[in-house]
Amino acid sequence: MTPPPPLPTDTDALVLKGVGRRFGALAAVSNVSMTIKQGERRAVLGPNGAGKTTLFNTICGDFPPTSGRILLFGQDISHLKPHQRARLGIGRTYQTSLLFTGLSVLENLYLAVRGARKGRFSMLKAGPDDADVAHARALADRVRVTQLLSAQVDAISHGQRRQVEIGMALAGNPKLLMLDEPAAGLSAAERPELVALIRSLPRELTLVLIEHDMDVALSNADIVTVMKDGEVVVENTPDLIADDPVVQSIYLGEGH
Amino acid sequence: MIMMTNRQWLMTGAVVALLLMLPLFLPNFWLANILGRAMVYGIVALSLTFLAHYGGFISLAQTMMAGVAGYAVAMMAPTAIPLGPFAMSYGYAIPLAVLAATLTGALVGLIAVNTREIYLLMITLALAVGFSLFAQSNTQWFRGYEGIRNIVGPEVFGMPFRTHLVFYYVALITAVLLYLLVLYVVRTPFGLALQAIRDSARRTSAIGFSVALHRIGAFALAGFIAGCGGVLITFYNIGITPSSIGLWPTVAVLIMAVIGGLGHPVGAFLGALIYAVMDTFASSIIGHDRFNTLIGLVFLTIVLVSPDGVWGIGKRLAGLGGGKEPVSDPVAKLTAGGK
Repeated sequence: MTPPPPLPTDTDALVLKGVGRRFGALAAVSNVSMTIKQGERRAVLGPNGAGKTTLFNTICGDFPPTSGRILLFGQDISHLKPHQRARLGIGRTYQTSLLFTGLSVLENLYLAVRGARKGRFSMLKAGPDDADVAHARALADRVRVTQLLSAQVDAISHGQRRQVEIGMALAGNPKLLMLDEPAAGLSAAERPELVALIRSLPRELTLVLIEHDMDVALSNADIVTVMKDGEVVVENTPDLIADDPVVQSIYLGEGH
Repeated sequence: MIMMTNRQWLMTGAVVALLLMLPLFLPNFWLANILGRAMVYGIVALSLTFLAHYGGFISLAQTMMAGVAGYAVAMMAPTAIPLGPFAMSYGYAIPLAVLAATLTGALVGLIAVNTREIYLLMITLALAVGFSLFAQSNTQWFRGYEGIRNIVGPEVFGMPFRTHLVFYYVALITAVLLYLLVLYVVRTPFGLALQAIRDSARRTSAIGFSVALHRIGAFALAGFIAGCGGVLITFYNIGITPSSIGLWPTVAVLIMAVIGGLGHPVGAFLGALIYAVMDTFASSIIGHDRFNTLIGLVFLTIVLVSPDGVWGIGKRLAGLGGGKEPVSDPVAKLTAGGK
């Protein structure tokens, strides 16, 4: 794989300072600190139960951190609600696809477009807005599901749902895109399509992805963070990560 | 379903036209005591159906919101016996009463914002029963067990409100307007987001919608609808008492909404009509001792035969119930319209 071009800026997009999340006695994430630059592609790797998704949900606001601070472009968002974080520029997908299953692809994208703009709470104007529908169609083109606009999302393939989800996450022109195992469960045929889609995202967009698959993670990231038992174990560039003895022990040996 | 097809608009228009002409054929008793009553209670049931179908909430506080409007208009009514401390003309009293119900709805939404299902049911039931008991025990403003009498309503074109024709037409027009309001609002950005939240609150908040704000807004709108019904019910009963907003009326509104069908706003009125007919005639069919049994059996049969109520039966008869159609369609016809 060709290495990604250099980063456009030196701005900090996302800074975590000692972030922890406890569920009762269980520390799902503890003392995680990291700095992600604008435009960086960051992969978060780790075995099941390492706390990757919990960390994601803490960053996206599904539950606030029990300790530490989260800064998005310098602004403390530690205790904002998910919709407030979304409006500040965080777009996300979920580990298992989470779409409005009774609706078509276009309708899902349309809702995401509506959520990203003013007048969300308006009770005045009924019916679809033409500009928003056009925006939703453009998103469909961008994530390559143009052929499926009128299909119900529970009738399309798993890989296509992943693409629709990314389209929804892009609706608000996010500054930070969080993808939770975007390639999980995809067939060998679907995987290149998704990887190509991720690679086609604009370079200034900061991207954090959780990935189980080491190859996908290493080929798409500038920096890889490896987590285990809720903590960051190693953080390094992909070529150095692959040879790291700690990573090798987690992934290859000792039965962790 | 939300964006009505031409055929559905035609049917709606035909039904409304028929209802407008009914006074030419029907005796006064049917106009006011069956149809008029079905419409005003149907409005309260409509507020429940709106919350249930589009928001996914079963609220038992709708009778209470109607009761807030009823008591508010009674306290402010110029004709009240005993006259309340805030007596004013009906022209001010009615909008203020509906406003009070709207705010009460928002307050209930605020209380219930983080609860769902059985917990929401319990909270709203507690609020409903609590308000009724409060009204019963407060003698200074709510006039205790006796309630407030002689709430006859304003004159309309020089005619007393409680003449059969005036009551029937005001109830009909209000019911139709509120019904259309619901069908309209669910197609606005607010209504779409509300349904999206019902289907997946987590997903909807991740694309930027405030879940709490939309839930509170939905309850406020339901409060507005229930408040309109509450004012009309108070005029219909020519007064208000704690027992008229107690546990049994609360359950009655739920029964109306369920037997009519929670799948569409029109179900509220169908259910209210069946309820009014049964409540009026069951005792003459089977005698005073057993009439509640007959009512119960009819309701049980409807719900057993069709879980989505009378509306569901009608939908299946009309052949619209094809398997793959989604229960709701927030951006209805968006896809089809763009082809």
